[in-house]
Amino acid sequence: MDTIAVIFGGRSAEHDVSIITALSSIIKPLELTEKYRVEAIYISKEGAWYWDEKLKNIDLYSSGKIKDFIKKNHPVSLKFDGGLTLIKSGRQRIRSSSLKVDVVFPSMHGTYGEDGALMGLLDMAGVAYVGCDLASSTIAMDKILAKEVAIANQIPVTKFVIANKEEIDKDIASVIKRVTTKLSYPLFIKPTHLGSSIGISRAQDQTALSNGLEVAATYDDMVVIEEEVPNLIEVTLPIIGNDVLTPAMLEQPMTKPEDFFDFETKYLQGGKKGKGKAGKGSQGYSKIPADLPKDLYKKALDLGLRTYQIVGCQGIARVDMLIDSKKGEVYFNEINPLPGGLYAHNWRAAGISSVELVDRLVNMAKERFEKQQKLATTFDTNYLQQF
Amino acid sequence: MKNFIKAVLVFYTPKTYPKTLVYMLQNTEYQPAAYLKWFWRTQNFNKVMIRRTLEKTKAAKQLLLGLYVGITIQLILGVLIIYLWHWHNLPGGLVFGIAVIVSYPVTWAHLVTIPLIAGRLLIVEPNQKAKILASENVFKKHRAIKVAIAGSYGKTSMKELLLSVLSEGKNVAATPANMNVATSHAIFAQSLTGAEDILLIEYGEGAPGDVKRFSQTTHPTHGIITGLAPAHLDHYKTVEAAGEDIFSLAQYLDNQNVYVNSDSPLTESFIRPEFGLYNQYGALGWIVSDTKIALKGTSFTLKKAGKEITVHSSLIGRHQVGPIALSVALAKHFGLTDEQIIAGVASAKPFEHRMQAYQLSGGWVIDDTYNGNIEGIRAGTQLLIDLSAKRKIYVTPGLVDQGKETKTVHLEMGRLIAAAEPDLVVLMKNSVTQFIQEGLEFGNFKGIVRVEENPLQFYNNLREFIAAGDLVIMQNDWPDNYS
Repeated sequence: MDTIAVIFGGRSAEHDVSIITALSSIIKPLELTEKYRVEAIYISKEGAWYWDEKLKNIDLYSSGKIKDFIKKNHPVSLKFDGGLTLIKSGRQRIRSSSLKVDVVFPSMHGTYGEDGALMGLLDMAGVAYVGCDLASSTIAMDKILAKEVAIANQIPVTKFVIANKEEIDKDIASVIKRVTTKLSYPLFIKPTHLGSSIGISRAQDQTALSNGLEVAATYDDMVVIEEEVPNLIEVTLPIIGNDVLTPAMLEQPMTKPEDFFDFETKYLQGGKKGKGKAGKGSQGYSKIPADLPKDLYKKALDLGLRTYQIVGCQGIARVDMLIDSKKGEVYFNEINPLPGGLYAHNWRAAGISSVELVDRLVNMAKERFEKQQKLATTFDTNYLQQF
Repeated sequence: MKNFIKAVLVFYTPKTYPKTLVYMLQNTEYQPAAYLKWFWRTQNFNKVMIRRTLEKTKAAKQLLLGLYVGITIQLILGVLIIYLWHWHNLPGGLVFGIAVIVSYPVTWAHLVTIPLIAGRLLIVEPNQKAKILASENVFKKHRAIKVAIAGSYGKTSMKELLLSVLSEGKNVAATPANMNVATSHAIFAQSLTGAEDILLIEYGEGAPGDVKRFSQTTHPTHGIITGLAPAHLDHYKTVEAAGEDIFSLAQYLDNQNVYVNSDSPLTESFIRPEFGLYNQYGALGWIVSDTKIALKGTSFTLKKAGKEITVHSSLIGRHQVGPIALSVALAKHFGLTDEQIIAGVASAKPFEHRMQAYQLSGGWVIDDTYNGNIEGIRAGTQLLIDLSAKRKIYVTPGLVDQGKETKTVHLEMGRLIAAAEPDLVVLMKNSVTQFIQEGLEFGNFKGIVRVEENPLQFYNNLREFIAAGDLVIMQNDWPDNYS
């Protein structure tokens, strides 16, 4: 029985979302497969790693008792021993236990996880892991880099301008001038590296733009400002696969541009902007499949799949696209290497159960790892003997 | 070793053990024999309260209090005996005192049944007998058409269907839910006003002579036999014996106004020429055509002597065609109009956990967990064949109470499942799992078989296993008191 380590939490603004993804969409279905030994690895907001059965319980986090847990327990040590082993010492440091990991299932959103940092560490350790690798994660989580890669591959993107935190902090007026010279309102202002819609705002005038830039710059050192697509239909496409890709269904969030999916809308109001109470998460207010004419649906589907391949995604990712419904134009918006909750609701609608989804993802991770093991990473030379 | 220690320690856990005993009593409906059988079969009392927890009813609370008081007295007595040994040299006091203390779990597991047995003998049974006697008079004098519904399966569904259809044009009363034994009939009799046109009385047979007794008390004018299958064989021993009891209803009616489901193969040897028959092809001369089976229900047309009536019901499955056809035929016979009949059939809803379809995670689940016999399995597997789906999943723990027929029935069950060709079969692990697996092998089953060690976990997380395009049929329940 393979041991799967699900790593979640972390030093990220999306720390809490990561916990929900891990506990409800990864650990639970993985355990239900009855094929794996599933271990929970929690990374605190301070960056310490913990490994314990108790970490699988949502009450630990919702009640705030995680703070007591952190106080009472020692963080684990990582051992790179031709793979990855976690070592945990007991409370009195007398007894210790270790865990040799066969496959890592990252459930990290945002910085130090989804951005490729964790994948780099796992590559160094030499352990199989689920999802996008270091390079594709880095591209995907950098909205500017992703757009540049898309442009280089003739994938349409909306008009955009970039600004860094320093210039926003020192001379916001010149940033606004640069933006308004090149782009027309309404605009979207986004931190470059964050997901889950954190720090995103929409601006229809200069005041809102100024505020939006300041907000985005508090989260990130780079900010991207995009022009809004007219007659907008927003769609998103979850995809799984390494070489052979399986798309889920194009999903259409039912929000107007002015009610764009910010964090609150997405996770706390069941996807519904306004006074609605918390619901089922982002899936609560979207259409699956997206309500599009057949040809436009296919165009978006093809663009999503092409983008996934060009960025070099593997395992799982979700491609967000913007559609000008009058012109029938589809634009790549962003790519998300670890969709919140794995977008399990969409996969279910596409005929893949949560249990099957995580099982397939683990198998893809193992396949990729096996392939990588066959590649030569060293070769013998007499270089050293010359010294 | 660790598990053994845990299993022993549970006997001496004041918070858990008495509750477990009362839970076991509650789940065996306070039947001392069934409870004691379960008690002696249980190896680990930690695992008894897994599916559910104790429902704190008045009776449960009283029993729990009685247990706590009794156990406390026994512990005090044990300590007192040791005290007497220590301070007053009571001979053998140490050993006896310890024995008194240590033995309390077993002692009170048995003593707790005494108030139940006494209460049953002194209060409940005399009271019930009086009520049953009184009800006999009520039924005898009642002017209504009295339809008795007997059979190994399908009784409640038949009764509910008839109630829906006949109520469109008549004043109909029926025994509630699956309350179908003599005491339930007596309570039902008390609720009657005398103004009813039709009474529907369900007979829940469980042991030889039951149906005959029910007939003598309720004085039916019409009888419906919904089918025969191995059920309650712990008491009947053979299906033939069960059949004889069920068909004693026909004897009571002198074989007149008796309607038998001939879709049920085991009824064949009991059928007499005087009986009216119903099945998926028709009922009482009405011929069924254009049958359509779907997840949203069942539709068909009935024709007889130039008359035609098309009905649609939300009841699912080919096995429903016969009962619906009979309800239409009887409704015509009792004078209802076509409009009333069509409306009545349309309003019939599936009874809870009986071929009840609902959507989950984008897939369809058919909950037939109240089924408890091989004919129900036949119907469920036929439904799996009749309906199309991207992926078909069949879930079952198997059938309880099959007595000596257990192996035969489950081999047959495996073969039926194999013939329906589901993609995945999920079996809840218990004493019959192996037989179903053998049956699947005999049936040359090519799909995946998954044996669940933790059924509760599977049922509670069903939504994680299914997706759009899936069709899941869940049949049968395996109560805690079965191994």
